[in-house]
Amino acid sequence: MRAALCSFLLMFGLARAEAATLDDAAQRYRPYVIEGIGSALAGARDLKERVAAHDLVGAKKAWLSARAGWERSEVFTAGFVPELDALIDAWPNADTGFHAIEAKLFGAGQTDVEGDTDALVAHLDELHRKLSAMPLSPQGLLDGTVRLAYEVGESKADGGESRISGTSLDDMRNNVAGIDFAYRTIFADALKEADARLADSVTGHIEQLKGVVAASDLPHVDVRALRRASEELVVALQAAAEKLGLRRPTLEAQSR
Amino acid sequence: MNVCRFIAAAFAVGILITGVHERVMAFPVDGDQTALPAKTELNEDALVRPREVFRSEITGRKSYLVNLGNLAFSSPSILGEVARQAGISCGTCHVNGAGNAKFFMPKMSTRPGNFDTTGPLFNPKADNGVLDPVRIPSLRGARYLAPYGADGRMPSLRDFVHNVIVSEFAGPEPSPSIVDAIVAYIQDIDFLPNPSLGPGGSLVGRVSDSERRGETLFSKPFPHDPSMSCAGCHVPSGAFVDHRQHDVGSGGLFKTPTLRNADFNAPYFHDGRFDTFDQVVAHFDSVFDLGLSEQDRRDLVAYLTAVGDGAQPYESEGVGASLKEINDFATVLGTAIPAGDKDTVALAVDTIGGELRELTEQYPDRKNTSVSGGEQERVNARTALKDIVLLLRRIDMAVGDGRTADAAADYMNYRRLMFAVVPSLLAGAERWSLFNPAVHDQHYQALRQVLQSKHVAQ
Repeated sequence: MRAALCSFLLMFGLARAEAATLDDAAQRYRPYVIEGIGSALAGARDLKERVAAHDLVGAKKAWLSARAGWERSEVFTAGFVPELDALIDAWPNADTGFHAIEAKLFGAGQTDVEGDTDALVAHLDELHRKLSAMPLSPQGLLDGTVRLAYEVGESKADGGESRISGTSLDDMRNNVAGIDFAYRTIFADALKEADARLADSVTGHIEQLKGVVAASDLPHVDVRALRRASEELVVALQAAAEKLGLRRPTLEAQSR
Repeated sequence: MNVCRFIAAAFAVGILITGVHERVMAFPVDGDQTALPAKTELNEDALVRPREVFRSEITGRKSYLVNLGNLAFSSPSILGEVARQAGISCGTCHVNGAGNAKFFMPKMSTRPGNFDTTGPLFNPKADNGVLDPVRIPSLRGARYLAPYGADGRMPSLRDFVHNVIVSEFAGPEPSPSIVDAIVAYIQDIDFLPNPSLGPGGSLVGRVSDSERRGETLFSKPFPHDPSMSCAGCHVPSGAFVDHRQHDVGSGGLFKTPTLRNADFNAPYFHDGRFDTFDQVVAHFDSVFDLGLSEQDRRDLVAYLTAVGDGAQPYESEGVGASLKEINDFATVLGTAIPAGDKDTVALAVDTIGGELRELTEQYPDRKNTSVSGGEQERVNARTALKDIVLLLRRIDMAVGDGRTADAAADYMNYRRLMFAVVPSLLAGAERWSLFNPAVHDQHYQALRQVLQSKHVAQ
């Protein structure tokens, strides 16, 4: 009886310690997401200036820069700020956000996007200001990592989400970079302690994903290998959740 | 002429040409980031699809071999790199074993419904340097229709299938069992039943005067060569073919096509040059100097329409049809898992997973501007389908590691979910899905609008 109690207390203590470790690690992720959204905001502000100057080439460049920062942060955005996420990244013919501006800049070749750009800056600014105080739970970040890992494996045979600007492959690369950073910063150390083999497996699948999206262009992305790596990574991360004392991640952010 | 039959046929052809409603225009593949030429039309977003009838299902169930063949037929992975990258499978052109009258690929087609099998895109080594597309044929009743190819160059369906995979689409050498399976699948695709055709191919039942006159004309010797008649080549007692090639003034020797279910096989002739039976009859009248009156032509068209009819030629694309196809594919796993057949399991997981991911996209996520409402229902549907994709991946991984017992347990779980849980979740979200014509229209209209902005600018 005493041995069982000791064992329980030991396990309880370990679980608490693990949770504390993951909570600390989640805090280490905060600067990354602040930097990513900050980069998106800086790009959007630059976009606003280029648009005001009717500088189409400069505006496109600024849009791409803003987009890169956003895509790196998608582990976080869908789960933690769904309302802003829908305003900033709605698709296909959104009234506001990146894709509304994309269609006009890259599609119609026009710079009459002042209102859209103002709204994008405002939304990104609001998000950026919230980030320092926003609670970042390890569970939420693992959910976001898993969802993005699954999404990366979706077919882009039709040109993907950013088909007008032709940057769908860049989106994927930034998504994978975001997954990689989130995993390494928050979960890798704890998982190595809990199950080194599983940790190696996760790392291996992330490296596979990186290799697949390193293709020269979207039509040369090996879609079969992409899907396999994406799904095997999700399966491994779902197994990791249990080892880390977290719930099995859900594949869709719940509606609110 | 039987007015009801004419209206039904006209309606069916109308669906084939326009999609389900006038307002629903198919969405082309576009942009410069795809493996296919911009403005390629695959008609994959159609809300109605040809109905597929299997001979084996008339009296029982499809065999493992037929299901495996159907699976491979629907898998881009048996074809070469360009097709794989573009998600093109045999089923892209031969939708549910029928044709695809809306298929159009710039540089590979000259009109909707034809395709250059010796063009440069899919296998540059097979490129003959000439844009000479052939009509995409229906495969209904193919077991009766040897030889194969528009020019009838191949007596064996097996050789023909092998040639399509390896030569036309630069696929890797397929295993003999996969070729056998595809052949078994094609040979199982039946003609749609036509109650107007009796034994020997004669018209029966309520036959109009015009159809009866057309039937007589069909067998009447040609005025300038009494050894010839329409029925001489389109033999009514033999699926309306004679298994031979002829020069009918269209630029070479081509095999006699069947007239069964031909109401749904437009465009006509080897290169798909004609849209209607009227044009076909006019061509023969001209080339063979038949001296047909206007009434004769109308009577022949009425007869062809009666012969070419078929019951329920189309079915709505919806949750039920999608799940049935996926579940038929998945039965292959029931045999392949216990056998530890890694290749077949991988093919099944790859193909079914792809289908399930496409099905997931029928339920727009919350960032999609095309639909509002039913957010929780859509989340439930998407989550369920994604869970199934991952369950299949676990099966693939387990078989790959030699853990067949784990794979078998996951397969049982897959079946339980797919039969007991997933259908109700998908049905619950259907009104907010792309299976709903209103949502479908809005979604594709939005995509077209975005892409058109680019074309306008260019």
